[in-house]
Amino acid sequence: MEEKRLRRFPSRTSRREFIKAAGLVSAAVALPTFIPASALGRGAAVAPSERIRLGGIGLGNQGGSDFGGFLGSADVQYVAVCDVRKNVRDSKKAQVDEHYKSKDCAAYNDFRELLAREDIDAVHVATPDHWHALIVTEACRYGKDVFCQKPETLTLREGPLMVEYGRRYGRVVSGGSQRVLEDYRGTVDMCWGGKLGQVLSINVQTSNLSHACNLPPEPVPEGFDWEMWLGPAPWAPYNAKRCDGNFSTVENSWRSYWDYSGGEITDWGAHHFGGATFAVDVRELQPQEVIYYAPEGSQRAHLEFVYPNGMRITHWKPGKANMEVDSNEHETRAPKPVPGYKGKGGIIGDFLYCVRTREKPFRDIELAVNTMCLCHLGTIAYRLQRSLKWDAAKQTFPGDTEASRFIDRARRQPWQL
Amino acid sequence: MLEQAFDALKTYDWGVDRNVLNPIDEAVVKTRDDPAARKDIESRLLAVLQSNAPRDAKDYVCRQLRTIGTAASVSVLEQLLADADLSHMARYALERIPEPQAGQALERQLRKLTGNLKVGVISSIGTRGQAPAGLLRPLLKDPDDAIARAAAVALGRIGSVDANKALASAPPRPALVTVFADASMSCAEKLLAAGHAKEAKATYERLLKNGPSELVRQAAERGLKAC
Repeated sequence: MEEKRLRRFPSRTSRREFIKAAGLVSAAVALPTFIPASALGRGAAVAPSERIRLGGIGLGNQGGSDFGGFLGSADVQYVAVCDVRKNVRDSKKAQVDEHYKSKDCAAYNDFRELLAREDIDAVHVATPDHWHALIVTEACRYGKDVFCQKPETLTLREGPLMVEYGRRYGRVVSGGSQRVLEDYRGTVDMCWGGKLGQVLSINVQTSNLSHACNLPPEPVPEGFDWEMWLGPAPWAPYNAKRCDGNFSTVENSWRSYWDYSGGEITDWGAHHFGGATFAVDVRELQPQEVIYYAPEGSQRAHLEFVYPNGMRITHWKPGKANMEVDSNEHETRAPKPVPGYKGKGGIIGDFLYCVRTREKPFRDIELAVNTMCLCHLGTIAYRLQRSLKWDAAKQTFPGDTEASRFIDRARRQPWQL
Repeated sequence: MLEQAFDALKTYDWGVDRNVLNPIDEAVVKTRDDPAARKDIESRLLAVLQSNAPRDAKDYVCRQLRTIGTAASVSVLEQLLADADLSHMARYALERIPEPQAGQALERQLRKLTGNLKVGVISSIGTRGQAPAGLLRPLLKDPDDAIARAAAVALGRIGSVDANKALASAPPRPALVTVFADASMSCAEKLLAAGHAKEAKATYERLLKNGPSELVRQAAERGLKAC
């Protein structure tokens, strides 16, 4: 695909140009921090020329929900849709055009064409998981800010690359779990507020791992680009249940199958582990060890993730409920302020606010990657049925060539990460 | 049970009950501390790979060899790199086999393959990160943009001093200027982390001066400040 130069900045700096320019400033260099609310468009209608020009990639199910959230934002001018299913992209284009009473929304089958557009500031991505890292890194390389649905990664290797690309190009890259803050706020407040004293551990429960898919071939529906849906995943024949975007992680959805998803431990794990790491304040860390327990006579194995600071997160610890905290209440702790979304409008509003201000979003990609690391380490421990040591700085399993094989998967040509 | 599973594997195809192969899955995990048993499983898997079993059966074998494949699997997998249907799954195994023979097989086939299959092999070489930069350097001038692009990305992943030099001295390529610049920055970041601040700084200075876009120049400026 022909490469295009990114927009150059004319002498007169408009709102959108500020967004671009601000993203280009070093993370080490302080940004102008005060931008009047009126200039940010809050409290007043935003002129179309001042809105964040947005495209969406992967627009079924959760992507459709995100699409609605972004399209409904007064901060956004939604300009392009992308989906490998013609009926989906046509439907979304029609909704955008109806929303703006125009016919201007472009529709793409190939995300690279959308990313190459110089007039687009940001994208939201809700493809199946096997596409996330490729699209997010490419979007950063094209200078776009990115909102990527969870689970943000499919393999351990993908995470650091997504962070690297976001940082390299000064992009705002947000993960997409709204539940981390919204579902677990009560637990977070208790932990951060000091009521529980010294927090020792928290338990998480998610169910099954993904599994192999061997569904029989079916005719590819007209208007469905099956090769592009598969992309970097191993080739397999089309079957409607293989690629269905419903939220099941048990069967008959891509979330159930190894090539596209980690199953519930990543799909719900992105939420639950995200909430757990937030509650016990280890979002900025990765564990150094995963201890695998399979007691005699026990129906279910369970895990314990050990952090360098001694914090522990357990998975399916017997007798413990999801998000149950163990603490030493006699060891009192002073309350500390709990971080939250910036701006208004939940996690989408947080992202849009940060696109304007160049701050890090609540689920900054680095924090999302740290959460996903738990999910992947847990998956590998369960699959190998043993404990693991993890070197977070080197992103390796020290001296463990067997586990190291699971750090990544070869991508189908021509896709490369 | 294991015998029945290997029998089923000979005719395994899409639509067949996946559970018939579970005994092999379990044996792969359970034989971790029994090298002889694992070697036996590897041999039996390789026999399927060399038979006329369906594509799905061979796909399954490659997935298992990703977990337990050794140098003994390399030559059989290498032969599949030229097979359009199985090349990816051969890499699926080879890319993750730690023995150097796996990397050498990829490097041998790099010289023989063309088009998409070559792109795939370049990608796997880059992910393994151990190949000499000189192997990929000539590909930056390949007439096929897809191959030159893949080579640049792979050099960025390798991130060595020589990889950085190869990218810096590559002839300008209008269709790939931002890809080459991006790969150079990947190298610079790795070099900086590895203590090669001088080389990283030179790369950033080059891109700050001659980078193909504002985005790249500002990224280079950011990198320069980190040096």
